[in-house]
Amino acid sequence: MKLLTHNLLSSHVPGLRPGGGFPLRIELGHPSELPPEPLPNYEADEEFLRRLHHVLLEVEVLEGSLQCPDSGRRFPISRGVPNMLLTEDEA
Amino acid sequence: RQPGMAEAAGDAGLGPAAAQEGAELAAVIGATVPTGFEQTAAEEVQEKLGSASRISRDRGKIYFEVPARSLPQVHRLRSVDNLFVVVQEFKDYQFKENKEDALKDLEDLVKKLPWTNPLKVWELNNSLKKKKTKRKKHNLQNPASREKLSGGGEEGGADQNNTNDQEDCAQNPVAVEPTGGQDTENPQGVTSRNGVEEEEDNEQSDVKVEVQASAESGAKAGDGQTGEGEAKVLRFRVTCNRAGDKHSFTSNEAARDFGGAVQEHFQWKADMTNFDVEVLLNIHNNEVVVGIALTEESLHRRNITHFGPTTLRSTLAYGMLRLCDPQPTDIIVDPMCGTGAIPIEGAAEWPYCYHIAGDNSPQAVKRAANNICSLLRKNESKDSSSALGVPLDIVQWDICNLPLRTGSVDIVVTDMPFGKRIGSKKKNWDLYPACLMEMGRICTPGTGRAVLLTQDKKCFAKALSRVGHIWRRAQTVWVNVGGLHAAVYLLRRTWERAEERRPFW
Repeated sequence: MKLLTHNLLSSHVPGLRPGGGFPLRIELGHPSELPPEPLPNYEADEEFLRRLHHVLLEVEVLEGSLQCPDSGRRFPISRGVPNMLLTEDEA
Repeated sequence: RQPGMAEAAGDAGLGPAAAQEGAELAAVIGATVPTGFEQTAAEEVQEKLGSASRISRDRGKIYFEVPARSLPQVHRLRSVDNLFVVVQEFKDYQFKENKEDALKDLEDLVKKLPWTNPLKVWELNNSLKKKKTKRKKHNLQNPASREKLSGGGEEGGADQNNTNDQEDCAQNPVAVEPTGGQDTENPQGVTSRNGVEEEEDNEQSDVKVEVQASAESGAKAGDGQTGEGEAKVLRFRVTCNRAGDKHSFTSNEAARDFGGAVQEHFQWKADMTNFDVEVLLNIHNNEVVVGIALTEESLHRRNITHFGPTTLRSTLAYGMLRLCDPQPTDIIVDPMCGTGAIPIEGAAEWPYCYHIAGDNSPQAVKRAANNICSLLRKNESKDSSSALGVPLDIVQWDICNLPLRTGSVDIVVTDMPFGKRIGSKKKNWDLYPACLMEMGRICTPGTGRAVLLTQDKKCFAKALSRVGHIWRRAQTVWVNVGGLHAAVYLLRRTWERAEERRPFW
């Protein structure tokens, strides 16, 4: 799973408050190489853009999980594919 | 198998020198495309080759002229299934009413046709083929090879990777390139019967046949070699497609007699399995086109008895994607991706968009992941062994409850389950409205669009009528998928915003 995909994913556990499913928390121990916030004028900062592109499109989570911020429900990621299926009881 | 250097007695001028000359020629190329997507293919030809196309009334074919040296680019067209070089076209051929006379005319035609230049183009094409990597390797650029996306073994995959004609000759005399097990279009003749055409009721349509010279009942695979003794004689066969209700002969008869005359004229050897030259005789009412094949015919499986997941052919996937006019940075989602044909085509041809494939079936997800990895590994510009950097991702999800943020997707493109093959008609009745709702929720209001392929047109129309507040029908393309009448719908998302995850807003 790439970071850009994570940007579009939201938890769909029933009963959440609006917006409560986003963003899912990625669980793994890898630190990010990006600054916590974009610097002003980031569009012109070639070095920053390279690192951003790398993190968005060239880094994949292969094993780990995504955690729903409100409910805590975890969705596993295995071999790079997140499994976002709800169980029969949940849905 | 391809005797690039062979010289046929009676037709001097074949060989490497001819190939060189061939490059300077203007070639009229005929291309078969998925029916319904002729216009799309014409646009691609205009865009990539700069040539205008004529769309034939014989559905599923377009014609365009290019310098023969452009052949490599022609082979890289994504919307085209097969290619041939035109020897001659007759817009209004008058067939004699009497069968013997009509067939005699076809025989007499052979020696009057301008074979020389098309044969040079064919020769040039052969020399290109030899340069290509072996067909068994996955080649991202060759649509036919990309068809090898396999749905696994369930489509009877055993004979699909078979590029050795010899094994085919027993049950399937057509030496073909497999199309990876998806439902292919019917042979042209049958397609025209199903199509929305002028003469629908009385039309006879014959399937492709091959000529057999009377004496030699097709040189069997055993001798395989192209050379027998000193002279290397070219081997050929004739394939005839005939459609129309006013002909006094069948395609079998036409192929046989035309082939006899071809053999007489060139002194080639008729061989229906191990041929070098495939002569095409396409008859569509009064339109007659004689051509020479430049690609091996797609495998048209006559007895499609397999049931199970089907893989969309990549030319159709390409046509569908083109229809929604993807723009750089568009997010494109296939929420029922199956083995991933559409997202793979998308990532290959529109690399400045971001493609997400999803399915609820673990097998589909696994297969899609494998297909993506193995195909995109061959991408020349990447030397890594995974799909890193390729704008494509896979998620396992439920189409009726997508884990995607509202309004976050620009384009939804998918092959909806066909009632007959997956699920049932009744299931579609419930599934379709739920799908359309969810697809409407995730899609960007105003600018978003969807391109959906379905065979269950009634169910789809009904479902669409209930979601008029989010989707408007913009265009419909009638297509033929594995002999079934299907439709591709282009929908535009209205400006109405979706509420967050309400079941029936």
